[in-house]
This record gives sequence, C-alpha cells and structure tokens, in this order.
Amino acid sequence: MDEVKYSLKDYKSDLKPIWCPGCGDYGVLNALMQALVKLQIPPHQMAIVSGIGCSSRLPGYLNTYGFNGIHGRAIPLATGVKLSNPDIKVIAVGGDGDGFSIGAGHIPHAARKNIDMTYIVMNNNIYGLTKGQASPTTPVGEQTKTTFYGNMDEPINPIRMMIAYKASFVARIFSGDPKNAIEVITQAIQHRGFSFVEALSPCPTFRGVEQFKLIREKVRYLPEDYQPTDEVRAFDIANDNDFIRLGVIYRQDRPIYTDIVRKMQQVSEKIGKPEILDLLKLFEP
Amino acid sequence: MASNNIVIGIAGSGGDGVISAGEILVNAASSDGLFVFMLKSFGAQIRGGESSVRVRMSSEPVATQGDKLDILVVFSWKDYLKFQSEMLLEDHVVILSDSEDSFPEENIPISANKLKNWYKVPFNQLATDAAGTSLAKNIAMLGVISELFNLPKSALEKSVKKKFSGKREDIINKNLSALKAGQNYVKKEIEKKDSVLFEYTPGDPRIVMEGNEATAFGALYAGVEFYAGYPITPSTEIMHWLSVYLPRYNGVVIQMEDELASINAVVGASFAGRKAMTATSGPGISLMSEGIGLASMAELPIVVVNVQRGGPSTGIPTKTEQADLMQAIWGSHGDSPRVVIAPSDVEDCFDCTVLAFYIAEKYQLPVIVLSDAFIGQRKESINPNRFRDLKYGFKKINRRITPTEKELEDYHRFKITKNGISPVTWPGMEKGMYQAAGIEHNEKGFPSSDVSVHARMTKKRWEKFREIKREFSFERLYGPDDAELGVIAWGSTKGAVKEAVARANANGIKVQAIIPQILYPFLIQPFHDFLRHKKRVIFVEMAYAGAFRRYLRGFIRFGDFGVETVSYRQTGGAPFTVGQIYDKIVEEYEKKDA
Repeated sequence: MDEVKYSLKDYKSDLKPIWCPGCGDYGVLNALMQALVKLQIPPHQMAIVSGIGCSSRLPGYLNTYGFNGIHGRAIPLATGVKLSNPDIKVIAVGGDGDGFSIGAGHIPHAARKNIDMTYIVMNNNIYGLTKGQASPTTPVGEQTKTTFYGNMDEPINPIRMMIAYKASFVARIFSGDPKNAIEVITQAIQHRGFSFVEALSPCPTFRGVEQFKLIREKVRYLPEDYQPTDEVRAFDIANDNDFIRLGVIYRQDRPIYTDIVRKMQQVSEKIGKPEILDLLKLFEP
Repeated sequence: MASNNIVIGIAGSGGDGVISAGEILVNAASSDGLFVFMLKSFGAQIRGGESSVRVRMSSEPVATQGDKLDILVVFSWKDYLKFQSEMLLEDHVVILSDSEDSFPEENIPISANKLKNWYKVPFNQLATDAAGTSLAKNIAMLGVISELFNLPKSALEKSVKKKFSGKREDIINKNLSALKAGQNYVKKEIEKKDSVLFEYTPGDPRIVMEGNEATAFGALYAGVEFYAGYPITPSTEIMHWLSVYLPRYNGVVIQMEDELASINAVVGASFAGRKAMTATSGPGISLMSEGIGLASMAELPIVVVNVQRGGPSTGIPTKTEQADLMQAIWGSHGDSPRVVIAPSDVEDCFDCTVLAFYIAEKYQLPVIVLSDAFIGQRKESINPNRFRDLKYGFKKINRRITPTEKELEDYHRFKITKNGISPVTWPGMEKGMYQAAGIEHNEKGFPSSDVSVHARMTKKRWEKFREIKREFSFERLYGPDDAELGVIAWGSTKGAVKEAVARANANGIKVQAIIPQILYPFLIQPFHDFLRHKKRVIFVEMAYAGAFRRYLRGFIRFGDFGVETVSYRQTGGAPFTVGQIYDKIVEEYEKKDA
C-alpha cells in the first residue's frame, strides 16, 4: 500500500455535530470519512454539497470544501461545482425530504446527464430538523405530526426510482453496518458517473429505537452470484418486501457529462478561438 | 419629399419572409453606414402565423423605431389587422400591397387620405416569374421598394447574397433575379405618384446586433465561464448565442431542468471559482429568488439577466414591459444585497453586462441586469470601433480577490473588512477549505444562530454598497442642466425620452432627462444635481403601478427641492412613441405658468 498521507483527522472538522444521540447520520459520516481515507483524496480537492435537513449539516463536519445550500437544491449546486472543475470530487448529501420531496425534480436530470458525482441520501423516513413531520418515505399508516390520522401516501422506493431514472450506480447501505458502508461508499466515489447511495439512517428521536431494530432484522447482503448490471434483477431486489438488500444493486458504464463537455470544447477549439473582439465579425452586415 | 430618415413596416404571414426581408434591409443599410433600428413583432403561433417588422434607417443617429410609418408593405391585409395598433401611419404614407390579396378593400381600416399613395404590386407573380418560386416574393418586394424609394441598392444585392451564402449557386441567383425583377417592375410599371424618397450619403459600415446578442457578447467579453439556464421568452437568444461561442473559450453552457436548478448550478459554479451567469425573464426570476438570496448570503458573485416581458404569470411573453423593477431590487426573503443595472439600448446591453461581471466579481454579490423584450429582441446598427474604447467596459475584468499565504494560515472566509469584501478561495486551492452556506455563519463560515453574529454579518454584507456608491456613477443626461422641467426614466424608455427631449428643446421647450443605469444601490448625487433647477419632473415608465416613481420617492424628497412630480406610465406591449412623450412634455411645460 502507498504511503498514507491523509488520516481521519485530516478530514474531520472542529465542528461538533448537532445530531441527536443514536442518530444514524453519525455512522454515515464516519463511513464517508473512512472511505476518504481509503481513497486518499486530498481534502482541498473535495466539495461536499448539501441542502437543508439534519443530514444536510454533514458538510460542516468535514474539513473539505463544503456548501450547505438551500432546501432541495444540493444536486444542481453540485452540478455547477462539478462542471466548473471536473478535477474536484463532488459529493452531494442530504435526507429523504430534501432529496425525494422538494428536490425530487432534479434527480432524474443529474442521473440522465450522468453528472460525475456521488449522492448519498440519509433516509430516516421522517423530517427530523423540523421535528417530526411525514417525509416521502414515511410508511403508510404511520402517525407523524402532520399525519395525525396516519400517513396515507404511498412511500417512494428510492432504489426503484433510481434504477428507473438510469442512475449509473445505485447502492444501499445501513448506518449500523459500517464495514459494508465504507466499502460501498468507496465504490460509489470511484464510480465514473452519477452514483447514488441510499443510506438507511434511523432516527431514534422521531421514529423510536424500533426503527433501528426493524432495519437490523431485515437487512441482508446481495446474493453471491448477484450481477448489478442486470436491470431486471435489480428491480426485483428493489421490490423485495421481505429483505432489505445492502450493496451495489445496479450499475452501468456510460459516458459522463464532463466528457461530453470536453468533447464539445475540443470541437469548438478546432474551429478556432479568436480574440473576443474579433467576434465582432459575426455581426458584420 | 426627400428625407434622410425613413420608417418602413412590413406585415404578413410567417411564410412571407417578412422577418428575413427586414434583416436583409437592415444589413444593407448598415453596410452603407446608416443608423438602423429594427423591431420584430409576432403573433403567438410557433410557425406561420402573422409577423411584422419595422425598419428605421437614417444617416443621423436614431434611438427609437420611429412613431409612424413612411412606407407600409402588406403581403396580407388579414395579417396587417393584427398589428394595426403597433403600426401607425404618417399622412404621407406609401402603401404597397400584394395585388393577389383578395381581402375586401372596403374592410381595410385605413382612412382614405392615407390610401392616396397605394400601389398594388404582384409580388407573388414577380417572384414566380423571376425565381420560379413564390418563396422569393420578399426579395422581389425589396427590389420594388429599393427602386421606388432609393434605398441602398448595391448594398441590398450584397445582403441578399450574404443571406443565401452557403446555399446552392442557383438559389442565390434566383433571389438576385427576384430582386432585379422587383426593380424592373417599378421602372416599367409604376408611375411614382408619391413623394417619399430616401436620401443619404454612404458611410463606414456599421455592425448589426440584437440586444440579447449584445448581452451574450458582453458576458463573453467579461470572461464568463459558466452558463446554466432554462429557455424562456424573451431571453433565450442569450443562451442560444453562448451555447455556440462559450465552449470555444473553454466555458460550459448547460440547459437545466428548471430555473431553480439553473440558479443553483450558477451559484455552485461561482463557488467553484468560475464567472457564472444565467438569463431568464420575470417568471424565471420568481423561481430563482431563493437562489439569488443564497448567492447574497454566501457572498458569491453571479450575474442574472432578466429580459422582462409583459404581465404577471404567463402574461404576454412576446411583448415588453418594465414591471419587474421592485422584484429585482426587493424581490427576496431577508436582507439580501444585490446590485441592479438596467441597460437602455442594444449597446448598453453589452456595457451593462460587462459592468455586471465587474461588480459581481469585485464585490462578491449577485448582480441583476434588468433588460426587456424591447431592447433584447430588437436590432440596432452599431459603430464597431466603440467596443475598442469602452467607457464602462473595463479593460481588466478582475476576478474576486483571493487570500494571501499569510491569510490562509488562519483563514476566515467571511472576514469582516472595512468595505465588506473578504478574500475568497475555491475548491482546489490548498489550505483554503471553508464551508459556504446559506445558513447564517460567523467569519470562519461556521453556522451560527447568535443574533449578534447575524447583526454583524448582515452589516458586513451591506457594507459593500457604500463602496459601490463611491466607485460608480452611471447615468445619462439629455438636455440643458438649467431646464425647469425634467424627465426621469429608466431602461428601454430611454430612446423615446431622448428623442422627445431633443425635439422639445429644438422647439424651444427647455427640458432635461436623466436615465440612471445603476438602479440599486441608489446613487443619489446625480439626482440632487439634476433636481437643482427643476420645478417639475415627469416619471416615464412602462408599468401600470408606477413602481419606479415610488422607488425614487423612497430616496428623494422631491418636496424639499420644490419639485412637483408627475407620473406618465402605460402598461407594456407596444413601446412608447416619441410623440406620446413629447406631448406629455408640452402638456407639463405649459403648466409652468399656470
């Protein structure tokens, strides 16, 4: 192994998380930092971008470049960063409300454009920062502060949605399984293209300790012979109601947006790059 | 009546080549060094439908489209009806219509005295005979009017060639035949009974630009590196132009899924150290408001162009209005400083965009360029040399300041400084890591809900305004300083105001106009100077609710200057005519002795 230049302390900021004790986001933050140590990405070459929510506070806890933007807009913000400087590793993070409710309109576009970034959604099935309202992944029948008579909305299945959007890398981790989480996040960051990681991240404060137990009981790894390139099989895994499968569920290699931009610039460069004021010729009658 | 100033209107269906004819005419006049102004107008149809174009050409500078037409060309009377209110006619107007048009003459809504000089010309037939296709009828028409009114003929031939360059040789030749056929038709068949004749001396060629092109070109000149946008009329030409030329300079143009995404991508690009912009229209700005607030809070330079259109909601998207002023200045949550600049003509679109980048980068805040459909989609001929010596086109466009090595040792991204500007890093810069945030933060960039931090940081962000006010003065004045009557206007109404003021002063009515270009922060001194001799001022704006007058009253106590204010405003759609404003000036001038 090469010399380890960056260790955990290089990625960790001085800021103490505002998260509640037992929050799953601690596990995700930790797994992310471990993955960064494994990958040895220089902190100044990284941008962690987020929207609003408990989990969107994550960038502040890392000693990298970070941007805690506005609710639901982590993906376009990250798109702007990545296309401006393709050398920067860009990771967008957030919660199920930020990503699948207010920001849901952006996901298919980042996926189809195959923007080279990693998007980690810490899914806790609830709005935590605003203290306990229904989220797009809250199960049917659950009582929350905004669903007194029980949640009536069919929850979004993030994995199925992402496969349908042709996200080129779709994976699931559990905050309670750090070893697998580190491995999957590492692969997600290494993936060329839009990589999505659903992080099951329980909220003991608003969903009780039962949520953690329930996930613990239901999680399984993918079958040994599993091939993530098989889209039909990936949908089966996503639809599985008996078990929650962890690992890389779907992946596909296809051109990334920055390659396309570079190609466009090369074509343009062949045509020529005159002094800007020479472009006045274009306006000659 | 020979004149060096002529206004031509052409109305027809999309298939008649109305706009192409206008463009060819504009190019011909510009290559002969004339001052040209061209305005297009469309119905709502995507293709086909009615369209009209108005071309004014003169050997003297022109600031408007001209109030009334000297020449009206009608391919179809049915289409003309849609533009009747936009195409007012001089009493001496010469009308040329297609002789094949079966529209009943008694239904033509033009008074008999204006139909004196009416030629019915077989445009269709001329084209079919000469070019083998009726498609060339717009070119045949150009042949007719160039012969009849002495328009630049050889330049016209050159422009026709250029228009069809890249096409097969025979297509060029067919169109040239159609042009000739039109000219010959006049020589053989028309006995000129009207007196309209254009007289001019050719000068050095001028270039032709549309306002939106000038904005895009200005952005490129200012060094834009990233553009994200979503199509919206009447701004989209800016994105069209940049999507061709920006990649050549290693820039990125990306079409996003909506305006929310566009503004956030632009903010992200700015965070990554790039000069970034977007362009949209009023409804798009509504969606971008939160993102503009983010740029203000995170102190990131961005340029946002609003090419205003008419009405709230969908409104009349193809028509102009000036009703987004308050949205630009105050349209936000929280106290969020942004600079608002308003171009007043095509050249200004270039200047204001260049200035916008300069201010955004230097002061690290959002700058809104408040253009409108009237400027954005019209063409003007411009002296190409003016771009080489720019008063407001800063030779050196600064990028935002970065920290020194020493400052990086204990880097405070949002360090409180005297002028509110703190050195900024971006991803990739070693030791410069920081958290950009929409959440209130301390100088280091860490989140804080401490009210004293909020007070300090808010003040810091607004401190930039003091410096901006010191650095700039950007307004235009027309007419004598000692006039007692004043006109205050902004943006695209400048042209009509300028010509009306010139006409008034020529007629012995003393009046002075002031057109501020930087609208926010409000630069008060030029107004104090302006008001020194004024007794009465007229506010001219194309906005029903008169936001501009209310806005200025927030800064200037007109009563303290002994100045009475009058509002002259109308809803958008058709731009003001010079006559309208002139009449208002006369009306208010006559009140002075009352």
